[in-house]
Amino acid sequence: MGPPVRGRGGSGGGFRGGRGGDRGGRSFGGGRGGGRGGGRGTPFKSRGGGRGGPRGGGRGGPRGGGMKGGNKVIVEPHRHEGTFIAKGKEDALVTKNLVPGEAVYNEKRVTVQNEDGTKVEYRIWNPFRSKLAAAVLNGVDNIWMKPGSKVLYLGAASGTTVSHVSDIVGPTGVVYAVEFSHRSGRDLVNMAKKRTNVIPIIEDARHPAKYRMLVGMVDVIFSDVAQPDQARILGLNASYYLKAGGHFVISIKANCIDSTVPATVVFDNEVNKLKADQFKPIEQITLEPFERDHACVVGGYRVPKKKKDAE
Amino acid sequence: MAEKKPVVGLSWQPQLAIQSMSKATYLPSHTKPQIEAPTSTLWKPNSELVNGLFVPPNDPRKVNKLLRQQVKDTLGKDWFDMPAQTITPELQRDWKLLKLRGVIDPKLHFKRSDSKNSKTLPKYFQMGTIVDSPVDYYTGRLTKRERKTSIAEEFLSDQTSAAYRKRKVREIEEQRKPGGNPNWKIQGKATRKRAKERRKF
Repeated sequence: MGPPVRGRGGSGGGFRGGRGGDRGGRSFGGGRGGGRGGGRGTPFKSRGGGRGGPRGGGRGGPRGGGMKGGNKVIVEPHRHEGTFIAKGKEDALVTKNLVPGEAVYNEKRVTVQNEDGTKVEYRIWNPFRSKLAAAVLNGVDNIWMKPGSKVLYLGAASGTTVSHVSDIVGPTGVVYAVEFSHRSGRDLVNMAKKRTNVIPIIEDARHPAKYRMLVGMVDVIFSDVAQPDQARILGLNASYYLKAGGHFVISIKANCIDSTVPATVVFDNEVNKLKADQFKPIEQITLEPFERDHACVVGGYRVPKKKKDAE
Repeated sequence: MAEKKPVVGLSWQPQLAIQSMSKATYLPSHTKPQIEAPTSTLWKPNSELVNGLFVPPNDPRKVNKLLRQQVKDTLGKDWFDMPAQTITPELQRDWKLLKLRGVIDPKLHFKRSDSKNSKTLPKYFQMGTIVDSPVDYYTGRLTKRERKTSIAEEFLSDQTSAAYRKRKVREIEEQRKPGGNPNWKIQGKATRKRAKERRKF
């Protein structure tokens, strides 16, 4: 029951990774995450050259194809709350723009003129740049984020996915975006200036007590910290901020945890670690056409007993 | 008709003598005016207005009905109140094209659409336009001349797909041409033999 999306790997458009040649002026190599060389020195999310290396640089945007500026599309609600699909010559996942007229990372936008004259804007959500979008397009059952939710986002990086999460939760929700690297945190803060529901936190997610004055109880934790001890980081943060019966979404990159064993073994180990931390994984999907050797695990935290019996 | 208007009434009310009103004044008080205006929520006869103002009906059922009529038809807050669309012929055409887009281009492949019935249109959707940004290259946007008002028009003006489209149409026409004598005709479109063709939208 995934959203209808162009055949994978087809030629002639679509969301393509790679071939980012036409997006000048972005430094991909060391620009994000403060460089790879640090090892322990950069405990948080050092996605320098590792990701996207085999794809030959560049985060692919939807280039050309059926989504050119000026094309007409039909916007339809997606199965998940707060997200939509734009259908044209090809399909795209979109979120309703909280700040109409502004693109966060030069993504394409869709304007809609309503019958009563009001204008609405949607932003295209590229699954090659966002693991959450990849999970949605791969047909995850529930992301537990919807308008009004409170989300703790670990590993916010420059805030591209965070901006879409802030679109989903809307003006009534809150996104606490945690990122350790100052360099990408700068982009994050700039993005948060325009979005009132994003609270940027430039802090190490290994020490959740450091930002206890900023974060309240949350409904969902999304974790994208490609670190060997990411299960522990998630457990720590959940014990501080996740409400009982809340949910977590974690993206696991096999290479970042152990590159010597097969990916499936790594995923199983991580899921077992999560289970030991009072997490109850509900489903696990791979992000295959969009990311290599990645898995997305979704589940509940301290699920109430009553619910457990019913299941 | 020279009597004074009530003070609480609207001062800008037109000073016209309305027939039903004037009749009512001349008639004896025990007979009702015969003309019963059709009741609607928008227009009320002057006699039902209190001091020229609309007062909601006392009956809770009527009030509820009034309220229900005024609520806009939207998808609710989970999808940010996406409004329902009034279906125009243009929108219908666009949807038809979207549902049949798998056959437009031989190189494009689509996942199956989630809608089971291909003929019913969804209620909640919006027509949008992609905004071109100054960042993207010329291949990433349409020229002013290429921009059209609907998906159907975009499809028709597309030069690259036109050749393929015409070829396919010719092929199908040749296939359906009755063999043998060119004067033979297809007898009736509602025959059982034609059922398969009818099902294609």
